[in-house]
Amino acid sequence: MSDQPQAGELTYTRVFDAPRELVFQCMTEPEHLTHFWGPAGVSTPRENITVDLRPGGAFEAVMVNDADGSSYEMHAVYVEISEPERLVWTDPGTGMTTTSTFTDLGGNRTEVRIHQVNVPEPFRSPEAQAGFVTSLDRCADYLSRLVSGEASR
Amino acid sequence: MTAAASRLDDMFIALADPTRRAIVARLARGDATVNELAAPFDMTLPGISKHLKVLERCGLITRTRSAQFRPCHLERAALDEVADWIAENQRIWSQRFDKLDQHLRGLQGMPGTAPPQHGEDIHE
Repeated sequence: MSDQPQAGELTYTRVFDAPRELVFQCMTEPEHLTHFWGPAGVSTPRENITVDLRPGGAFEAVMVNDADGSSYEMHAVYVEISEPERLVWTDPGTGMTTTSTFTDLGGNRTEVRIHQVNVPEPFRSPEAQAGFVTSLDRCADYLSRLVSGEASR
Repeated sequence: MTAAASRLDDMFIALADPTRRAIVARLARGDATVNELAAPFDMTLPGISKHLKVLERCGLITRTRSAQFRPCHLERAALDEVADWIAENQRIWSQRFDKLDQHLRGLQGMPGTAPPQHGEDIHE
């Protein structure tokens, strides 16, 4: 009932101008993932992506830094696939679980909410440090307040 | 796991507790003694001390050794490290979603996609 953030929870939300089914496909098909999975300056070639879309199936990617060729690996396992509204995978190495929720907003718009738990653990693996976690949401706001104006003395 | 990653891990665990976050928020306004920190909480001094030890162990706060008061001091650089990590990950998801947005536009033939290649026929 409480909407208080648990530390260790990260959320990230974005609204896309696209139907929910299409957004879901993009998040689950290597042909699509290769176009966006790496952040700026990082590529994820199609052949580097493994998607076995079933509970217990693999979700793996090797991302390559465009500048220096260094690579980051992600090894996750799907937990739940409820097309087109929910997708859950977990990283057995870190214990971190990522839930993607796809909400049809109507008018061809879809909200994607990424929710991740077990945040401290990801620091245990280099691939997680490469960024398979999101912002600490409200905790991030809180910290930024501390770090900026309010904390200065 | 690197020492830095382990420390960051410890800092996140330390910040996972609302009382400890409140202590950090209080110390952001200036150094304070254990008694001063305990005042707003319905908590014993040993209880507060336990929280302070967690914060101290991960490097978020330090305690000076002078006198019996040992005021607590927030280590801004350590807190910056946490904030930087969060910002970095926010940036990664943000860029990933920027790319996804472009990709979705391309799939649907919406504006905002890469311009057509020169020399190719453009069908009306």
